[in-house]
Amino acid sequence: MDDEDHEGKKILVIQTHGVATPTRTYSPLFYAMAAAAMEMEVMVWFTMDGTNQLKKGEAEKVQLVKDSNVNLKTMLEMTMDSEVELRVCQQSLELWDMKPEDLIDGVEILGATSIIDLALNYDHVMYF
Amino acid sequence: MAHEKVNGCVILKNLHYNVENNTWVRVIDDSTVVIGMTDIAQNLAGPLLHAKTKKVGTVRKQGKPIATVESGKYVGPVKAPVAGEITKINDALSGDAGMINRSPYNSGWIVEMKADNLADELSNMVSGDDAVAAYKEKIERDNIQACEQIEGADTYD
Repeated sequence: MDDEDHEGKKILVIQTHGVATPTRTYSPLFYAMAAAAMEMEVMVWFTMDGTNQLKKGEAEKVQLVKDSNVNLKTMLEMTMDSEVELRVCQQSLELWDMKPEDLIDGVEILGATSIIDLALNYDHVMYF
Repeated sequence: MAHEKVNGCVILKNLHYNVENNTWVRVIDDSTVVIGMTDIAQNLAGPLLHAKTKKVGTVRKQGKPIATVESGKYVGPVKAPVAGEITKINDALSGDAGMINRSPYNSGWIVEMKADNLADELSNMVSGDDAVAAYKEKIERDNIQACEQIEGADTYD
């Protein structure tokens, strides 16, 4: 299928890895940006351990690329700049004792039923 | 002088620029243009590993992607500076995306397009000394790091 046929499709990226495993945080965001660059509608859903990278002050501690200024915070910002939507699981916030005001700007909170609706309505789900 | 360097980044004065999207346009005739990434854009992206252009015949609105490029640290679209139809693509890029890094204004061109309304769209771009001034401002505002030397930069004059 030609890439032109993919434009407008919806991709849901589910990220379950967080600050304890830096090497598992980079690629999902990179794929999300790639899909956005290809004119797809993209959302990253953070749940389980993935939630903790969205706590203010945490992502900037995670260096992703040696000898560069790219850290997890800059990756999250670049992802949002690419018009990728970031959402976090309500129940996972409690898992990490996080309150809505602890979240970095630009992230919305959704509940479990919403993720089921989203998964059913997206063209493809990528699970990490 | 046909070109100027701002923070080491080459700006050719005879091209038209969409500064926001960091693309250049070379006018071939009253509707045909060649399009590419600026020296600043390739420098920001870093050494490119892949460049995937849209196909010949693709009709694009202004601002929609004509290609996607990716390096180890960046992936993003090259946005059409004009509305119209892609009439040629640079086939060489599929095997050597680094050509965009080495020669962003010549052999690293991205696509040729037949523009729907070129005169109007050129009026929204900058060229010559206005382009140099616009990029000076952008480089300072965005704190863009110095560009590395590209091929042929000393021969553009």
